Amino acid sequence: MQTLDPAAMAHISEVSVSVELQTSDMTLNIGPQHPSTHGVLRLVAKVDGERVRSVEPVIGYMHRGYEKLAEVRTYPQITALVNRIDWVSGFANEIPFIVAAERLMGLEVPERAQYIRLILTEMARISSHLIFMSSYPLEIGAATPLMHALRERERVLDLLESVTGGRFHPNFNRLGGVKPAAGAGAQTKKVVQDLPQGFLQDTKAAMVKMFEICDDLEGLVTGNEIFQARTVGIGVMPADRAAAFGVSGPNLRASGPDFDLRKHTDYLPYDKFEFEIPIGRNGDCFDRYQVRLEEIRQSASIINQAIDTIPSGPLQAKVPKIIKVPAGEIYVRAENPKGEMGYHLISDGGRVPYRLKIRSASFSNLSVLPWLLEDQLVPDLIAILGSLDFVLGDVDR
Amino acid sequence: MIVVLAIGFWAGLALKIGIMAAIVPVVALPIIFAELKLSAHMQHRIGPYFAGGRYGWAQPLADGLKFFQKEDLVPDAADKMVYKLAPYLVLGAAMAVFVVIPFGPDLIGRDLDLGVFYALAISSISTIGVLIAGWSSGNKYSLIGGLRAAAQLIAYELPLFLAVVGVVIQAQTMSMIGIIDAQAEYQLFGLEIAGNAIAIPYVFPQFIGFVIFYIAALAELSRTPFDMPIAESELVMGYLTEYSGFRFAVFFIGEYIGIFTMSAIMATLWLGGYDPLFFDLSGLNDIAANAIGALVLFGKVAILVFLMIWMRWTFPRFREDQLQDLAWRILIPLGLANIAVTAFFKVVF
Amino acid sequence: MTTNQSDEAAAEEPGAEDSVGEEAGAEGAVAEAADTEPDASTSRTAEIAERFAALVDAESWTADHGLAKIRVSNDQWVGAVSVAHRNGMPFVSFLSAVDWSRDVAVGDPLSDENVEERYELMIRLSSLSSDDSITLSTDLDKMSPVIDSLVPVLPGANWHEREAHEMFGIEFRGHPNPKKLYLPDAFEGFPLRKSFPLLSREVKPWPGMVDVEAMPESAGPSTENPEATDGIDDEGATDADA
Repeated sequence: MQTLDPAAMAHISEVSVSVELQTSDMTLNIGPQHPSTHGVLRLVAKVDGERVRSVEPVIGYMHRGYEKLAEVRTYPQITALVNRIDWVSGFANEIPFIVAAERLMGLEVPERAQYIRLILTEMARISSHLIFMSSYPLEIGAATPLMHALRERERVLDLLESVTGGRFHPNFNRLGGVKPAAGAGAQTKKVVQDLPQGFLQDTKAAMVKMFEICDDLEGLVTGNEIFQARTVGIGVMPADRAAAFGVSGPNLRASGPDFDLRKHTDYLPYDKFEFEIPIGRNGDCFDRYQVRLEEIRQSASIINQAIDTIPSGPLQAKVPKIIKVPAGEIYVRAENPKGEMGYHLISDGGRVPYRLKIRSASFSNLSVLPWLLEDQLVPDLIAILGSLDFVLGDVDR
Repeated sequence: MIVVLAIGFWAGLALKIGIMAAIVPVVALPIIFAELKLSAHMQHRIGPYFAGGRYGWAQPLADGLKFFQKEDLVPDAADKMVYKLAPYLVLGAAMAVFVVIPFGPDLIGRDLDLGVFYALAISSISTIGVLIAGWSSGNKYSLIGGLRAAAQLIAYELPLFLAVVGVVIQAQTMSMIGIIDAQAEYQLFGLEIAGNAIAIPYVFPQFIGFVIFYIAALAELSRTPFDMPIAESELVMGYLTEYSGFRFAVFFIGEYIGIFTMSAIMATLWLGGYDPLFFDLSGLNDIAANAIGALVLFGKVAILVFLMIWMRWTFPRFREDQLQDLAWRILIPLGLANIAVTAFFKVVF
Repeated sequence: MTTNQSDEAAAEEPGAEDSVGEEAGAEGAVAEAADTEPDASTSRTAEIAERFAALVDAESWTADHGLAKIRVSNDQWVGAVSVAHRNGMPFVSFLSAVDWSRDVAVGDPLSDENVEERYELMIRLSSLSSDDSITLSTDLDKMSPVIDSLVPVLPGANWHEREAHEMFGIEFRGHPNPKKLYLPDAFEGFPLRKSFPLLSREVKPWPGMVDVEAMPESAGPSTENPEATDGIDDEGATDADA
């Protein structure tokens, strides 16, 4: 009986190793046109089967050069520009810029105007978060919450429209207050119209619906085992990592820090209201989802309190006809739905800013992507991407 | 003589296939309509409303016409012949199952001895159609979708068969008609129950098998929560990404026919098929028995289809590895246990 | 002019009286603003600025308008940022630059003749538990703006530096991926430099530049306005309920 030569066996095993399949990573272009990139984000992903080896985000398809444009626009014109940065919460974008200019000018904004700003900002937050509540389950594969959340968002947009005349781009803030007249009689100058008739009652009624939709979503999405299996423990972002990348807003709070500029800064009179800052513990996709869901409730509660206590009074401080902002340098930041939105405004005393640096939340939130998406599965890539809740206009500016 | 006979045979076959091809897609239309309308109401929408005059009943037809008049695009990078063939493979596999589905005591294409086996085996061919559709499209998303589909369909083939084995052991036959008759026997493992008042469909003794089969059928059909091969939020449209117009419509109809046939198999194996269960069809004349039988089967199918639609518009999607986990770690062991328990009872009683 | 009009406003509206003092402060030179606004937040800003200026061994610091700005030299840049980052300022808000230039193609030229022509690079770091923030800034040479990259010590600066690179032409030594971020690879020029023309503006000056919005004549309290529409009465009722 012939015995097997160990050396030959070793040789055979070597041969079998060398005929192993030659595989190489595939480059997968996700975007700029893809259902889950929320616009024109492009991710150049190196994938090994379903495993993502590395991701390089390519942005700039929507770069509109607002920082350059702001250098040739007068201050009242710039509010129309900044509306379009994060278009799902256009109203909230105006606030930090207008506050920055007002502070340089030393304008004292009437309290009623501040309350109106606050109410509308919180509405913008609700509307933005409801977009997330509709799109995120869709990215995980559940199509139904989309319609439920968008239906409720429509109420908020209708209310915003009734005050400002715009659903997405209100352009409602004026230096020194808010646009004093909306709707009928706006141009006659004789009739100064305040908030539209019944607006406050309608808003209160709508806020009841907001609490209801939160409960609905909790039942429909939060408790769903498959949703939890897809999001719990996925895309974990430690707080120090998030902070070093400038990740802010709900994305940061999901990782633990209770950092909310509404509590820490005074760009709007948030200190007059009681609200909680929802935070997460693990910093995963599920926490980011839940923080936003809870924020809708908190915003609705802030709006209810503001409606109960809104003072009467003028809507606009006196401002000069030709607006020149005194020379100076200021940075005002606000807690936007997406995170910290700030404007570094440098004026040299003219009618246009000398330099306006726009710090947008989504830009920093997205800059963490290459690190966050490394070695994830393709379905998780989509889940993580969606959980960051970015808007390409806010990334590209 | 032989030649004439042969021509007669082939002509007859062609005629039969032609009739099937014309009639079978019709069963897909009510399911498509139900999906449109039910999903709409689940999402606070009205859904189709105008087509056909009332309730938008003609919407599936209108959609079909729309698909017909669209341009049939074949990508440059596609393997053209395979690309064109794939949809028909899927549709053909779905339609071939109809041969063994009993709509009434006599309304059956052919009561094969291996009816169940044939149905499951032939429906597996659609896997190949999906795989080659994904591969031949020349698109990376399609390729990933096709591979996902292949992995998924292979993984769920096993629980699908294991679930059926329990029924087959209990009924001691693979013939579809035989299984229906076995369920109408007013007894369970040889024991008489409820004094001949009501037949016991296998959904009660074989409940675990039924659940396994239902889940596996959802996966086989790539329905949510197992729609990763299409996963439009990840893979655009998976293996369907490049298909348009008529070819897409063929896939689409194939998918809904698949839903019907899977539901019909389930209804036959677990819910007593065309048998109304609480009274005997054999006392009626042939036409009445077959008509009532068909209606009863459609009713049972409707319940199962409704469940599928309900799930699709409620659940999110699993991840690929979670789906494999579910198949290999839960469904297959459960299926094996089910077989063992069934066999034990069969031997003991 | 601003002051005059504001005084009128104050005369008409008693509620706006508080603002006059602050406005006078804002009118003054930037350096003096800190002295004329001695409120709590300003002193806090100054405290922060002073503390961190000492910590990073800065050249100078200012604390106007709530902006704690600390100037460091070119070669201190990376060290200063990483020290501040590790000492209670973990959050990277932004990094960007300013082109201080008299050679402007668009916008208004610098009115102050004394400003030195340079690029100013700045990074804003914040605390995560309060509003404390600092802006570290350094000056770069107008002709050859080069500085060490922050990415090795602060990975979050990656995209910001790429943006500053393509927009201002600042070179970051040691940046791992110095590609353009927003602009196409073939793009020439540095758009946010003041010397970069805005083409549409070359063709046609912005018509809105002279189109100043008219002031509403009377922005009095709405509830006191006899001509107010029904909506106002409505609001009044709500307020009463509250």
